[in-house]
Amino acid sequence: MRSDTSRVTGRAAELAPPGAPAAAPGAKDRGRAVLAALWEVRELSTAVILLLEILFFAWYLWPEAGRPHPFLNFPNALLILKYSSIYGIAAVGAAIVIISGGIDLSPGAVIALAGVVCGALFVGSGVPLPAAMLAGILTGGAAGALAAVLIVTVRLPPFIATLGVMGIARGAAFIITEGRYFDLSARLVGGWRPLGIPADWVPPLVMLALAVVFQILMTGFQWGRAVFAVGGNETAALFSGIAVGRVKASVYVLSGLLAAVAGVVLAVVQGQGKADLATGYELDIIASAVVGGASLSGGRGSVMGAVLGTLIFGVLRNALPQIPGATFYDRLIVGLVVIVIVVMDQLLLKRRK
Amino acid sequence: MAGLEFRDVRKSFGAVAALRGVSFAVADGESHAIVGENGAGKSTLLKILAGILRPDGGAIRWRGEALHLASPREGLERGIGMVYQEMLAFPNLTVTANIFAGRELTRRGRLLEREMRRRTEALLGELHLPVRPDALAESLPAAHRQLLQVARALAFECRVLVLDEPTTALTDAETQHLFAVLDRLRARGVTLLYVSHRMPEVFRIADRITVLRDGGYVGTWTAADVSSDVIVRAMVGRDLPTRAVGAGARDDAPVVLEVRDLTRAPCMRDVSFSLRAGEIVGLFGLVGSGRSELLEAIVGLHAAQTGEIRVGGRPVRIGSVRDAVRHGIALVPEERGRQGLFFNLTIRHNLVLASRAARGGALVRGGAERAEAGRLLRDWRIKAPGLDALPDALSGGNQQKVVLARWLATGPRVLLLDEPTKGVDVGAKFDIHEIIRRQAGAGMACLVVSSDLPEILALARRVLVMRDGRLRGELRGAEATEARVMALATTDLKDVS
Repeated sequence: MRSDTSRVTGRAAELAPPGAPAAAPGAKDRGRAVLAALWEVRELSTAVILLLEILFFAWYLWPEAGRPHPFLNFPNALLILKYSSIYGIAAVGAAIVIISGGIDLSPGAVIALAGVVCGALFVGSGVPLPAAMLAGILTGGAAGALAAVLIVTVRLPPFIATLGVMGIARGAAFIITEGRYFDLSARLVGGWRPLGIPADWVPPLVMLALAVVFQILMTGFQWGRAVFAVGGNETAALFSGIAVGRVKASVYVLSGLLAAVAGVVLAVVQGQGKADLATGYELDIIASAVVGGASLSGGRGSVMGAVLGTLIFGVLRNALPQIPGATFYDRLIVGLVVIVIVVMDQLLLKRRK
Repeated sequence: MAGLEFRDVRKSFGAVAALRGVSFAVADGESHAIVGENGAGKSTLLKILAGILRPDGGAIRWRGEALHLASPREGLERGIGMVYQEMLAFPNLTVTANIFAGRELTRRGRLLEREMRRRTEALLGELHLPVRPDALAESLPAAHRQLLQVARALAFECRVLVLDEPTTALTDAETQHLFAVLDRLRARGVTLLYVSHRMPEVFRIADRITVLRDGGYVGTWTAADVSSDVIVRAMVGRDLPTRAVGAGARDDAPVVLEVRDLTRAPCMRDVSFSLRAGEIVGLFGLVGSGRSELLEAIVGLHAAQTGEIRVGGRPVRIGSVRDAVRHGIALVPEERGRQGLFFNLTIRHNLVLASRAARGGALVRGGAERAEAGRLLRDWRIKAPGLDALPDALSGGNQQKVVLARWLATGPRVLLLDEPTKGVDVGAKFDIHEIIRRQAGAGMACLVVSSDLPEILALARRVLVMRDGRLRGELRGAEATEARVMALATTDLKDVS
């Protein structure tokens, strides 16, 4: 570690303009080298935006003396994390699909379907909870597999294929529930504490674990490299001997599975499986991935960025309603934020080049 | 020695026979060129060799063993590397990732980034490529991206390197660099299979030349014993008449286009020249010299900062292509795929689009349009399945003729052509030259930009040379030799002053 730092410093010193005080290596140059390296980390700008956002709301919602802060407190932070993680878990899959050059419109519907299947088995048929959850997740995998077949074998455009799957999944959820909903909380006497973890902690932890695993898979493993390659230039990928069909199929199955994980977690934590849950989530999920650096033309993006993107929206959704008079403005502000962040990102990208 | 052997290779797409029984052999370590017009079957043959297509019949043998390739990956594993005509790079990935794409070095699935980076550095050194292994491919110039494919083939220690028109997007200097690399590979015993339209390149690289025509095998010649005329005749199956050089207008013909001190920093500065009725003028410059920018500024695609354009002696303001067409100036753009054709519209619409837009009016008169398009198709000998077919159905040469015909239909007095024969076959090239000469004969002033120096010298009576955004000189008639044009186009400023 130490030798690494000194090497960087040495190079920075070489690059110093002639005439600059030569005897001033050290802190300043090292700082610059570190900054340059951080500049390359794409996720960082998303994290900085999130931080600025939190600071802004902390300042804007600062209470009168003696009263508790309505935004900056631990229960509220946990609330934000809990609700964001439903989007976040699905956004991991959405980011991977977008990096591969595709799009998935089905996560909202798959979230609902997986929750309903889990609820129907657990409440309706008395199946043990872990088995019911697994069944729900596999249902999502099946929805993803259907999209994969339509895209890879039938060669439908991803937009159309996943639009179809979205309708099928949502429809199946309504058929299963017949307009009712499954009350899981009634059968979860004493609450749900898997491995002794409080239920509210489960969604954020699942999100974090999945984000880390898939970030590593995407950056350090052959499969992830293939996803980037297919998204960057599909023809070249084909000519390079990458199994393009298999890679594309894998990302849709994965997206289905991850949305379903979000769905069963939501169903169990909220205590109900309903067919109209998560309506319209797909666009928020896609927006999160894009705000997190994914390019809808493929080949660019990151899993971590997408998860940070969902947190940016989670904080907005939590804090805006607390601002007096902002009630009717929150959707508008969320829309503006998407545009501003993506435009900023493009400007940064240009400067980096 | 038995190297690569094609035996009666056949392939059809629907009713169209792309290869009808092609047989020939490439010796181990040989440098072998395959030439033929577009549609002769070269690309199909290469795609079969690479494992992208499977043949309907026949076999390919490599060192006596039958090759049955099911995918490009197997081709690579058997030691056959491809360098494609298109820029097949992953713009979003690093140089290292590009070189190892699809065959990354891994341990238990985990990428060995450091090892791949180290090997990439060695390969880049070997190819004399001044590129960082961590640079994104999109940040590289075209030539370096092309050489990435060579590096990729080397990374897998290919014994056969197949190059499909690798110089299409390269400048002369870059082409020379590529050839130097290929020479080193030959010295190492790598078998080269080289496909190109450009005769000088073929003779520069190849020991032997195989000619394909209409999906059939015509013959194989030893490069040292044959002239390019023989090869060209074998390719087109007919004799191409030669033309006197520099025919055309007289010096007292009226000036139709005059450009004075046109400046658009930093692309071009103080460009002045004039075109007379009926003359063909060549404009030569390396990529980046500002030649395309000049043409685009004349037709109003970019606003010039200062300068004046006169048409027929009167100063005109050209702020858009519409203005240019109104003043009788038309530009046939460089990239017919990106800037010329509408692949979603029929050939008829593609043909009449510009002339209709110039004429204005809201109503589309189908009958008149059809008649006009039909006339253009006949006049310019465009081989098309029909007026309502899509441009996809046409060969590159005929696509180019469609774009050319579109602009001629606007009745221009000045025709600007940017690389009018880029990527078209010999027959179409000849036809396009004839069209340009016919137009000049009828009084049109033509300005031809081309990287193909022999083409410019054959067409033009004088040649303007651009470098670094300025006109560096004009060479007329006999003084316009390849060496002098090249010297003007490449010499550094300080050497001149």
